[in-house]
Amino acid sequence: MFSIKVWDLPTRFFHWLLVLSFAGAFLTAESERNRDLHVLLGYTVLGLIVFRLLWGFIGSRYARFSSFVCSPKVVVLYLCQLIQKQAQHPVGHNPAGAVVIVLLLLLGLGSGLSGWAVYEDIGADWLTEWHELISNAMLVVVCIHITGVVVSSYLQGENLITAMVTGKKPGHVNQAIASNVTSLAWLLLAVVIGLWIWAWPASKDLNWLLHTLSWQ
Amino acid sequence: MKQVTIGFLILIAIAQPLRAEQPQDIILSHALQAKQDNAAFLGFDGMRGEQFFKSQHNGGDWSCASCHTDNPAAAGLHTVTKKEIEPMAPSVNPARFTNTSKVEKWFKRNCKDVLNRECTAQEKGDVITYLVSLNR
Repeated sequence: MFSIKVWDLPTRFFHWLLVLSFAGAFLTAESERNRDLHVLLGYTVLGLIVFRLLWGFIGSRYARFSSFVCSPKVVVLYLCQLIQKQAQHPVGHNPAGAVVIVLLLLLGLGSGLSGWAVYEDIGADWLTEWHELISNAMLVVVCIHITGVVVSSYLQGENLITAMVTGKKPGHVNQAIASNVTSLAWLLLAVVIGLWIWAWPASKDLNWLLHTLSWQ
Repeated sequence: MKQVTIGFLILIAIAQPLRAEQPQDIILSHALQAKQDNAAFLGFDGMRGEQFFKSQHNGGDWSCASCHTDNPAAAGLHTVTKKEIEPMAPSVNPARFTNTSKVEKWFKRNCKDVLNRECTAQEKGDVITYLVSLNR
């Protein structure tokens, strides 16, 4: 076993940018004072997920949906084996994690789209209800995802959280991805940070930030 | 039989808006709550509601009028997002105060922004009484 590259840089940047945007959108949801920031972060979530859906088809080996999306039968089998401590741990996403990822992508898409419709006053009142419901469901799935990662880290004896930072996991040399796709990752980061700078609400200046941090 | 059932469902769908709540129903439910909160409750006062609507509270920098303007019969403008807010007075915008859960949701959200706490039934009833009293 070697330490091999499994998660390419765009996948990792996507992951942590999504963490930031979704957490930020959740924290700014309760007040009209932060509505501008909430909307910007929500659109960021939407854009990131659109990127990830494309990356799921053209990305590197373990980022592709074809490498981890599997039938419910495979998921149940994996969970049974997991309980009996006989599960084989794949280098990429395991079948249980794959379900959670698909759910997160769908809920994130639904949350972003319904939020956009609410903000543009397209839909009726029920859209607001749905936006809250989908977003809360996403938070629940995020908690399941974190629990799953911690439990799997323990069972597999490897730190899956740092793997999403470094991109490296134990494996055989022939299982490694060929390229980190570094340039695309920096482009993604530049687009997101560019969007934030360009569309950052004027009301959320440095004074606001200091006030918010000292107040909480 | 199938046509009858479909026809019946369509009738229910058409009749649905007729069953919508009226502002008076919502004022009444706030009156019941206010009475429960305070045995000395003496009813709602549109003048007091107007004053509440137009003043700042608890040292905050916003009033209701900050976004809804001093004339709730006109469209408002969201201070943060600069988006238009439809008029609050039912005389101009009959959809206002016809859905309890929507009314409560927005009172809860906006009172936190303006007062840093939730509004009492007395305060909400006063404000709705004021808004309902406004003419075109």
